[in-house]
Amino acid sequence: MKPVVDGLKKEYEGKVEFRLYDVEKDAEGAKLAKQLGAKFVPTFEFVNSDGTIAKEIIGEVSEAQLREQLDALK
Amino acid sequence: MHLLKHRRNRALGVLAAVLVMSALVVAGCSTSLPTAGNVDNKAAKSLEDKGVRIIDVRTVAEFEAGHIPDAENVPLDQLADAMGSWKPADPILVYCATGSRSVEAMRMLVAAGFTSVFNLRDGIVAWDGDISAGPGGAVAGSLPPVASGLPVLYEFYTDW
Repeated sequence: MKPVVDGLKKEYEGKVEFRLYDVEKDAEGAKLAKQLGAKFVPTFEFVNSDGTIAKEIIGEVSEAQLREQLDALK
Repeated sequence: MHLLKHRRNRALGVLAAVLVMSALVVAGCSTSLPTAGNVDNKAAKSLEDKGVRIIDVRTVAEFEAGHIPDAENVPLDQLADAMGSWKPADPILVYCATGSRSVEAMRMLVAAGFTSVFNLRDGIVAWDGDISAGPGGAVAGSLPPVASGLPVLYEFYTDW
């Protein structure tokens, strides 16, 4: 999953900010995951620029699914 | 010609009988042989209903966020110590998030002599049964906008 996300991160630079957290090693990430109610890994939260959560996807996703959600963000 | 046909039919009949008997012998033995393997949600629920020991091998934080009711949390790196107090003959169902870590747990248990070990194949991510949520509090429906003013993709993951 990581190479796909890393590739998209470069591609969407300046359009979407990517924040990736290893919840086992990153206390801030674990806290944020709990705050968002993300129970499982991997979990993807797509958040609009006003802070509203547009979409949550749990589990492995395809690059096409990620692109679709990233393009839909406002 | 008829004799040949008769012999061939008889041979086929004997072969079929041998196959049926072999199948019966295998089926008969299978109840006493060690069992281990991947199970789907339906089979896992059946094991859950029978009161089988359920082990969640994810981290404490993952477990607290949500787990199968009655599951015990034994993170994979603590399994070797914990299994020492369990009876090898008792059936065990292991699971993790996606079925990766629990496959390793299943291998460890089988190697240690446990005879009935089952792995929830697709993990709790695909689990459609009950979930006990830990003390989580209210779940946020939105986040403060980030400094860049851009939309954000958050990914929560672990490396294993």
